[in-house]
Amino acid sequence: MSSTLIKCFNVAKTVSVVAFKSLLTTPRSQLPAWSQAAVGSLQKCGVHTTAPVRHERLMEFFDDPKHWSENEVKVGRAWRPDELRIKSNKELHQLWYILLKERNMLLTMEHECDDKMEIFPNPERIDKVKISMENLETVVRERNRAYHLLETGETGERPQKQMHNAFGLRCTYKSCEHVLPPFMNTKWIKSRNLGYGGRAVHKFLLKYREKLYNVKRKAKNRSRNEVMMILRRNPHFDIELLKRKYSDVDIEKLRRTDKARGHFVPKVDG
Amino acid sequence: MRITQYLTSKLKNFSNLPKEYIERSKKQVYWKTPTERGYLPSTVERKRYRYTTNRSWTGQFRQQNMPGTMRRKVFVEPVEDWSFFRGDRIEVLVGKDKGKQGIVTQVIPERNWVIVEGINWHYRRVGAENEFPGIIIKSEAPLHVTKDIRLVDPSDLQGTEFEWRFTEEGEKVRVSTRSGRIIPIPETNNQTHDYKTPNAYIEREKDTPAAVVGEITFQPKLSTFEMDIMEEMGIKEERTPAKSYWY
Amino acid sequence: MSTRWYPIYQRGNPQLRVFLPNFWMKLVRPTEEQPANVVTFAVSTEMTKHDVKNYLEKIYKLPVVTVRTRIALGETKRDITYGYVTKKDDVKYAYVTMPKTEAFTFPDIFVNKAEQQEKEEKSLDESKAGFRKFLDRNKKRPGTPGWYSI
Repeated sequence: MSSTLIKCFNVAKTVSVVAFKSLLTTPRSQLPAWSQAAVGSLQKCGVHTTAPVRHERLMEFFDDPKHWSENEVKVGRAWRPDELRIKSNKELHQLWYILLKERNMLLTMEHECDDKMEIFPNPERIDKVKISMENLETVVRERNRAYHLLETGETGERPQKQMHNAFGLRCTYKSCEHVLPPFMNTKWIKSRNLGYGGRAVHKFLLKYREKLYNVKRKAKNRSRNEVMMILRRNPHFDIELLKRKYSDVDIEKLRRTDKARGHFVPKVDG
Repeated sequence: MRITQYLTSKLKNFSNLPKEYIERSKKQVYWKTPTERGYLPSTVERKRYRYTTNRSWTGQFRQQNMPGTMRRKVFVEPVEDWSFFRGDRIEVLVGKDKGKQGIVTQVIPERNWVIVEGINWHYRRVGAENEFPGIIIKSEAPLHVTKDIRLVDPSDLQGTEFEWRFTEEGEKVRVSTRSGRIIPIPETNNQTHDYKTPNAYIEREKDTPAAVVGEITFQPKLSTFEMDIMEEMGIKEERTPAKSYWY
Repeated sequence: MSTRWYPIYQRGNPQLRVFLPNFWMKLVRPTEEQPANVVTFAVSTEMTKHDVKNYLEKIYKLPVVTVRTRIALGETKRDITYGYVTKKDDVKYAYVTMPKTEAFTFPDIFVNKAEQQEKEEKSLDESKAGFRKFLDRNKKRPGTPGWYSI
């Protein structure tokens, strides 16, 4: 246990996380703001030139020019929830915008590569950014949840409940925010369909349940077939393992079936 | 090998790609319900893939699983604990290299396969065109973990059967049944496409330094994320929201 | 609550603020010829003109004068193998006008790549030709090692 912990620690210590040296090390206020000097320098470029004009700010939508002709752009891994949990709200807020910019950059490059029939190097970068953003959002949500639970005793999440819809199926009803209380909101009262019933719904439910049953039955048949085929191919397979894996199949019975017997001559002792 | 087994096994993912990317690159969706209200989200997509030595995120895999192609089902027998790792010395039990020993270079758990360096190889002609006859390379064919190979005992370098046992510390190890010696999982198993050992990883331009990642800057505070950010940015809000109803 | 949930607004309520915007925006190559200070973006469909303007001004610190948007209908296609008719998602394009002093042309990203590819192909052809020559020379004396003649 301890050795694995140390291993994890080592990994966390050494393997870096994608995207964002610049922001955590330099506060956002220090990032160069749009300044008059930059405008001036661009004016010198001239507007009606045929040579490509590189706009300083808009170049943030593109990868570093030195990566343009490369076939592989290596990056680290995504941020993990545990790493984000120890960061302050301010840093998370900054990180979000770095990830957002990175995602825009990657999407731009991917679009351009698709357009020009080129291979986009390391498309998993998009997934890494996406995972990081999802993790960041869950961490923020956790914090807000904790605050609401402490202060109000409620999670502060959007209320939802399980109920039956008009077809008699179980579904989650997610509440919406309204200005009017429910008894005054005549439009809402008219629009909602409470309960279910009638012959058509009854018929539908009957068929729906049959469908569900068929899915279950087919799955069972499939696993039964699977076991038979495994036994046919390997007659000496570990039965205990099979029993553990396919608990819904009567393996002892299956072993005697014709289909589970392979095409080979049984060995006779003596 | 099934996904749950894969998660609990000690086998390390060499490609080091996120799971989401592997799934996304493999997927073949032929039809999907529109993302609008009134539609139950459902898709028509390929369910069964033929896994080979080509990994599922490569172009060759896509080529082998082109839409409209169906191949016979491969029955992959369940393996409870994955026991063959990159860098393991194994002995071959079948084929023209029967009795030889080699080092595992690649593991393909979808088919219960390993590829062993210099074992079970054949010549392959690559890059032949109408004028050019192509070049000939050696390529190794995979070996089945349950039938074709067995592990080598490090004490006497002879093939042996083994089982998974627990040490006093509670660590799960492979133990040779003949000599009772632990067969350690090689360090090569932890290598990935990006680094040989985690310590040897070269930090790239956009990576956050490890020290910054580990830094604890969170201060518990009785405020939501939004309130904290507003305070940070100096945004003052005096107005209180009017009552609204959730239903 | 999810940071994606946007509360309703009633008169006198505090200003609604988005702290973690989830909008994406990509810079695309313009299909038609445009003035140098106009940039084309493909954006999330739910973004409004004001959103685009604020996004560029606040996050990218770009000076924006006007924004015009349109929604392009997604392509409808029939699947070759199975015949399913599928439609790609609609895309919103935003044409952003910067002040006249600004200029931007979409960079040519794959200039070096084409050169590299040409070079690689050339060296491959050369090696292929060399191998062909070697084979031709040794056609009449099979089995002789490569070092036998100069």
